[in-house]
Amino acid sequence: MGSAVAAPSVNQETKKKKYPYYIEKPLEEGRVQKFLEIFAAFLRHSNYKPLLEIYSRASTKCSRCANTCQIYQATGDPKDIPCYRSNILLDIYRRHFTIGGWLRGRILGDPGLQEETIDEMLDTFYHCTGCRRCSLECPMGIDHGLMMRLTRNILSEMDIIPKALLVSVREQLEGKTANTSAIPAPAMMDTCEFLEEELEELTGHPIKFPIDQENVEYVFFPAVSDYLLEPDTLMGNAAVLYAAGDQDNWTIGSQYFDGINYGLFYNDAILGRIVEKEIAETRRLKGKKILIGECGHASRSAKAFAPTFNDGEEIPVISIQEYTLNAIEQGKIELDPDAIGETVTYHDPCNIARSGWLVEQPRKILKSFVKNFVEMEPHGKANYCCGGGGGTVSVDEVYDYRMKVSGKIKADQIRATGAEIVVAPCANCKKQLKELVEFYKIPATVVGLHDLILRALRLPPIDKSSEENNEQKSQEEQILEGSGTHA
Amino acid sequence: MPDLYELARGPLFRLSFLIMALGLLRLFLLSLFGIVQMVRRARDKNNSYGKILLTTASWMLPVHRLHRHIPLISFSSFLFHAGVIVVPLFLLDHIYLWQASIGIAWPGISRSVADVLTLLTLITGTLLLGFRIFSRSIRQNSGFVDYFLLIVLLLIFATGYIASRPYNPIPYQTVMLIHLLSAEVFLVLTPFTKIAHCILFPLIRLTSELAWKFPPDAGRNVTIQVHGEVKSI
Ligand code: SF4
Ligand code: SF4
Repeated sequence: MGSAVAAPSVNQETKKKKYPYYIEKPLEEGRVQKFLEIFAAFLRHSNYKPLLEIYSRASTKCSRCANTCQIYQATGDPKDIPCYRSNILLDIYRRHFTIGGWLRGRILGDPGLQEETIDEMLDTFYHCTGCRRCSLECPMGIDHGLMMRLTRNILSEMDIIPKALLVSVREQLEGKTANTSAIPAPAMMDTCEFLEEELEELTGHPIKFPIDQENVEYVFFPAVSDYLLEPDTLMGNAAVLYAAGDQDNWTIGSQYFDGINYGLFYNDAILGRIVEKEIAETRRLKGKKILIGECGHASRSAKAFAPTFNDGEEIPVISIQEYTLNAIEQGKIELDPDAIGETVTYHDPCNIARSGWLVEQPRKILKSFVKNFVEMEPHGKANYCCGGGGGTVSVDEVYDYRMKVSGKIKADQIRATGAEIVVAPCANCKKQLKELVEFYKIPATVVGLHDLILRALRLPPIDKSSEENNEQKSQEEQILEGSGTHA
Repeated sequence: MPDLYELARGPLFRLSFLIMALGLLRLFLLSLFGIVQMVRRARDKNNSYGKILLTTASWMLPVHRLHRHIPLISFSSFLFHAGVIVVPLFLLDHIYLWQASIGIAWPGISRSVADVLTLLTLITGTLLLGFRIFSRSIRQNSGFVDYFLLIVLLLIFATGYIASRPYNPIPYQTVMLIHLLSAEVFLVLTPFTKIAHCILFPLIRLTSELAWKFPPDAGRNVTIQVHGEVKSI
């Protein structure tokens, strides 16, 4: 009843408001009611209720988190204090889902959630890149990443979601190509063939991108955009697998080959559906492990959530960096210590570094062959986000924000190292960092980890009379002989 | 006046203590129950509890996790908390009061130790108040309650200190009355404000970590409840 009376004015007001990013179906009215309805559904089905209960009493407002957040450091705006931002959601929780809040409404006449607050949320929760740097510094152990995800999740269920993310995920989960870049499988295979030729030209070796091989150890899921934008990274991946003797032990699935999982940034249901796709493809090919390419959020979403979304036998998830380090440590591959003369620095993608999972491995790899390695300060677990985290790197409308605000500190950090090469093993980070060095005119090149490895990889010289060829020949002969006898 | 004093010293104290104790107990049990429920609903039950609790404990030491910009805040906060916990519980005069109220007693600290701790609490508390007022990021994140609670706490310690001096210009009973009443206000507010972190502290980080272990069908069920089906994207 109340909403029917309020509708016209709300309607006019929301029409005037502009969303800071494109959304497909902007809700014109009833947003408050919708928000609360979805919030209630989350409290019922998910694990967020105990979290909200404890968070709504936990913050001591010490602002330590403020000083760790690159956004607040760049703007100094109270709205960018992590605790302040999370408190918007916590306040809605207190007001609408606790007895105290009910009393507040009854006795003090607090009207509760307003349209403006929804506008504030859809803006500010996309300012946060979900890097979780703030979670390192909270004495209480509050994780604003969780609050950011939950808010974005509620908003996404009311169709408030940047179109860039929505369209990619739609294609990945419901489109013909089943990946975020809409690459048809035949085109992916063509690219692989082309890369094989390139590799042959470069190394002389028959390095392959095996497709749909069954019963292999590794089923490979890179960020699918690598097929379009990062051929060197993919070539480096394949070359390492080849050099380590696993050429026949890995594969790319033709039915599902995308590691990207934007669900991690905004929606639990979608996060789960994408992880399930990776698991299903691995099962179809009877692969033993999921091997994730160079991508921070792809690695984290698979590694951290496979146990949640896998209802069958466990499938371990490993990152290509772990694989490569292992190969180096076991002496399976050799890297030329003179190949890279430039000064190199390393950017830690938040999604793999914040938990401490992949911090040492890439450094061990780099230090094993790069002479001039310099660190950014701070680095490792306490690194700064590239500024394009949480999916914002895909949202072109916030380009200015990513350059001038969220990426500012990262740009300063890179400049301070004086490095000529910035290594970032992540498709998202690389895109953001490439844009950053261009925007700030920093004389540095941004590459993937395996791009550099490819430059330094030492493969034994191919010789017509080499053992390998002999072996291959004799195998071929055997097959021929075999077929001969059968015939 | 003596009546009011006796009231504050007796029934009011017992009442506010009861509100605090029951309120905190309720919060603690509810949070524990929440944690159990989270683990039960999650499919992935592989949690490193020991590590999480160790990290939590490490935050109680000032040196381990210094404030990035103002290390003085860390030291102040540590000493402040030490005073706020030790003096109310272990000052001999308090123990007599506890004994009178709840019937048990325990060994206390000497007057001189209590004096030093009280002064330290007053100094560090004032410093923290100063930071809240003058440090931009903390001021921007502070509301009325944040100032109010700190000022009440400082008032409790200041009046306690003055009351225990042999000579002081203000009548003993007046000082004690303010001391008691402000302490009671603080006790009553404890379970309803951020001071609840005194009991929730060990559980907050744990809850955060467990919250990343989603119930596998949660997202889907939300979508179904809201849209009537798993709607296409
Ligand atoms: S997650 Fe990162 S961007 Fe978001 S509030 Fe925390 S530090 Fe800032
Ligand atoms: S660091 Fe934690 S306790 Fe301090 S203001 Fe931020 S969220 Fe609140």
